[in-house]
Amino acid sequence: MAEKGGVAGGRDVYVPINPSIPSGEQTVWADVSSLLEATCQDLRDGELIHGENFNLFAAMSALEIMDPKMDSGMVCRYYSVDEAIENGAAPVPLSFNRTVDVQCTIDIMDHLLACEATWHKGHSLAQTVFSCIYLLRLDRTSSHALLHSYCRIIRATCNAVVSVVSDARTHEEEDLFTMTYAPSSKKRVLEDIEPLQTDLDLEEGYCKALLCRLRFRKHFYHVLTCMRRPQGKGLELARKHIASCLSELDCILKSSEFVRGNPACGNCGDGIEDRTTASGCQPIGFDASLNSRLSAPTPPRSIRILGWKKAIEYFQKLLHDLDIICSYSLDPSLEGVLHFVVEFQKFQPDLVARAHLQLLLVQDGKLYGRDPVFAVISKAAALPDITKNHDLQKNETVIQLGQLVISLLKILCTNAAWQRRKLGKILQDWRVIYVQLELAFRKEFADISSSSIDENVCMKISKHILIWVEEQTYWIASRFLVLGFELELYSPHEYCMVYWYIYVILIKLAEKTHLKMLKSNDTVKRKGKKKRDSPKDVARDYQIPPKVLFLQCHIYLAEGLTMMLAALKNEHKVFQSLGPFNTEHERFFQHFELLQKACIPDNISYVSFEESTMHARLSTLVMYNCFKDAQRIAKDLRSSFSNDPDRMAELRRIEQVAEHNGVALNLICRLGTLDPSLKVYFEFSHHPCFATAVVKRS
Amino acid sequence: MLNLEQKRKTQLQTRYLPLSGAATDGCSPSPNRTTDTAPTAGRCAWKVKKVRKLLFRRMLVGVSDGRFFLGMLYCIDKQGNIILQDAVEYRSTRRCSPSPMEQRGLGLILIPFSCRTSCHVDCTIEEQLSLLSLKK
Repeated sequence: MAEKGGVAGGRDVYVPINPSIPSGEQTVWADVSSLLEATCQDLRDGELIHGENFNLFAAMSALEIMDPKMDSGMVCRYYSVDEAIENGAAPVPLSFNRTVDVQCTIDIMDHLLACEATWHKGHSLAQTVFSCIYLLRLDRTSSHALLHSYCRIIRATCNAVVSVVSDARTHEEEDLFTMTYAPSSKKRVLEDIEPLQTDLDLEEGYCKALLCRLRFRKHFYHVLTCMRRPQGKGLELARKHIASCLSELDCILKSSEFVRGNPACGNCGDGIEDRTTASGCQPIGFDASLNSRLSAPTPPRSIRILGWKKAIEYFQKLLHDLDIICSYSLDPSLEGVLHFVVEFQKFQPDLVARAHLQLLLVQDGKLYGRDPVFAVISKAAALPDITKNHDLQKNETVIQLGQLVISLLKILCTNAAWQRRKLGKILQDWRVIYVQLELAFRKEFADISSSSIDENVCMKISKHILIWVEEQTYWIASRFLVLGFELELYSPHEYCMVYWYIYVILIKLAEKTHLKMLKSNDTVKRKGKKKRDSPKDVARDYQIPPKVLFLQCHIYLAEGLTMMLAALKNEHKVFQSLGPFNTEHERFFQHFELLQKACIPDNISYVSFEESTMHARLSTLVMYNCFKDAQRIAKDLRSSFSNDPDRMAELRRIEQVAEHNGVALNLICRLGTLDPSLKVYFEFSHHPCFATAVVKRS
Repeated sequence: MLNLEQKRKTQLQTRYLPLSGAATDGCSPSPNRTTDTAPTAGRCAWKVKKVRKLLFRRMLVGVSDGRFFLGMLYCIDKQGNIILQDAVEYRSTRRCSPSPMEQRGLGLILIPFSCRTSCHVDCTIEEQLSLLSLKK
C-alpha cells in the first residue's frame, strides 16, 4: 500500500506506507496530515490538544525523536548490519593483499581488546565490543581462520564475563549492559599452513604478533572458566593461566614495535596514545551506531574507547587482582574472610574482579559453596560443639541471621560508594536481628527445657551469639565510617566529629571482641581443667589478647586526633565548622544519621560529642598523650603479628601517624599561640584514614 | 519543536487552565482570551473536535530518516509536535527497496514537526471519508 501523503510543510511528499505495518481489522490508515496542519494553525501559542489524563510533567520526559542526544535509533550511515556488510564495511578477507590482510586482522584484535576493557569499565557492550560487525555476523568470518577464531573466543569470553557479573548481581552498581548470545566456547584450531602473507621477511614478526594475541585470549578465557569452578577448585589452575596471560600481554606490548614499523601499516601512528591499536591504524569493520539500538530506549551515550596501551594496563591490573583472589587460602573463619575482602578492596579492583570474588565467597548460600552459614557463625561466635547438631539452626531468626551474613559478604565485594550506602542500611537490620534473637532464644530455650541440653548451655549459646552479633554490628559501623575517608566525604572541619565517632565505635568493638574472646577462652579452659580455677585466677593470668590491643592502637589514634582537633578548635579557633549553610549539629546528623537511627551505639548524640570535646586543651593533651600510647602498643605488638604481613604493615602505619602527630602536638603546644603565618593542616600521607598533622610556616 | 523554552512557556500557560476535557470546545482556551477571539474559537471548534476524536487512537507517523512510529496520540501542540504513547519504532533494514522491518518499543515519544513526513490514523472507511473533508 502506498498513499499520497498530505501537504506537509507546504510541499507534497510522497509517503510510502509499509505493508508490514498493518492497520486494524476492517480499518485503513487515513492520512491526517492536512487536518492536523489546519488545526494547528487555529491553535494559539502554547495551546495543546490533549486528553483528560494529560500530564505535562510526563510529557516533558518523552524521548525526542531525531535528537541525536536522545534518539539512539537514528539512521546514521546504514540501515542495518546487513546493509553495512553489502556496502563493504566489513570485508572478508580484509584485503586481497595478504600482508595488508594480516595487518588489518591485528588491528581488529587490538581494537577489540580496547573495546573489551572499555566495556569492563562500565560502558555498554553494544557500543563497545559489539560495535564490531564481524562479531555480529560470525558465520561470515568462517573462511578467515584467524579472524574467526579470535571473534569466537571474544564472544565466549564476553559470555563468561556477563555470566559472572550478572550472577554476582554487582551489575546494578555499574551500567554493564548484559546481552545474551549463544555461547560458543569451542576454539577453532588453526589448520592453515600457508604463509600468513606474501613478504617472507615479515613472516616471523606477524606470526609472533598474532600468536601472542591468540594465546592471550585462550588463557584469559581459561582463567575465567577455572575461577568459576565450584568451591574454588579451579583457583590453582587459574593462577597458571593468569601467569601465561601476563607474559602474553608483555609479548603483545613488545610486538607493537614490529607492527608499527612495517610498511603495510603506512604512516598512521600520530597521537599514538589515543589510538586503539598497536599499529595506530583505524581498524576496519567497526560501527557503534549500527548496534546502539540494542541498548535503547535509553539515550545513547557518547563514549570513548580506551587507548590500546591503557587497555593492556587495564588487563594487567585485572589479572593481578584475579591472582590475589586465586591465591587466597579459603580461610574458613569469617573474621579471616572479612579481613581478606577489606585488604583486597584496598587495591581498588574493578567490577569483574569483584564479581569473581563475590562468587567465590558465596556459592549456593554457603561460604565458598562449602561451609554452611550456621557452621561459619558457630565458629565465629565460638559456640560450644553441642550446637552443631542443634535444632537452633532451624530457627527462623537464626536463618535470617545467616542471610544477613551472606548479604554482608556480598556488599563488601561492591565498590566503595555502593558498599558504604548498603552497609549503612544493613546496620539497622543487624540491630533488629539482635533484639529478635534475644526474644527467639528466650522462647526456644523455654520450649526445650525438658530436652537433653541443660539450661547453662542454652544460656551460653544465646550469650555467645548475641555478643558476636554486637561485635559484628560495630565492625560494620567502623567500616562504614572509614569508607567515608576513601570516598572523601568528610571535610577537615568535620574530622573532629568523625574521629570522635570512630573512637566511640571502636571502643565498643574492642569491648565486644574482648568479651567474646574471654567467653571462648573460658569454654576452652573449662574443658581442660574442670572448674578448678576461680574467676580471680583467670583474671590474674589473663593478658589482653593482641587482637584487642590492635584495636586499642586505633582507638588511641582516633582519640588523639579528636582531642587535638578539638583543642585546636577551642584554643586557636582553627578547624571550626562555621559554614554558612548548616550548623555543626546538622552536619553531625547528616554524617551519622544511619548510625544514630540504629542507636549505634546506644545513648550517643551530638551532645555527648560536644561534652567530650569542649574541655580539650593542648596542655593536658601533651601530658596525656594518646599518640605515645598508640606508638608504644604498636611497637609491642610487632612480635605478635610477625607472620601477618597485612597487620605488620598496618602497625607500621600506626606508628608513623602516631609519631608524626605526637611531634606536631608538642610543637604546637610549645609555640603557645599560633602566629598567623603558622599553618596547621592534616594530610593522609601515612594512613588512608588516620590523618597526620602538618605544621608549616607559610 | 517543543524546545525547553517553549515547554516552560507551555507549562506556564497551562498551569491556570482547566483541563481541556472541561472546556466545551475541546481545546485549552488561552488564559487571556477576550471577546474578540470569539470567531477564532468558533473556527477552532469543529477542527479541534475532529482532532480530539483522534486522541488515544493508533497513529502512524513517518519521519525523515525513513522510520515509522506507531503509537497512541497523546498530545499535539500548535507547532505540530506530536507526542505518542506506547510507541513502537519500525525501521526497514535497507535504504532502498521494500525490506523486512525491525521494530522495538520506545514508550512515550515526542516527534518534532520538523522531521515528520507523514501522519496516518487507524480508522474505518466511513471515518476516513469524514476526516478527509476539511469542511465543516
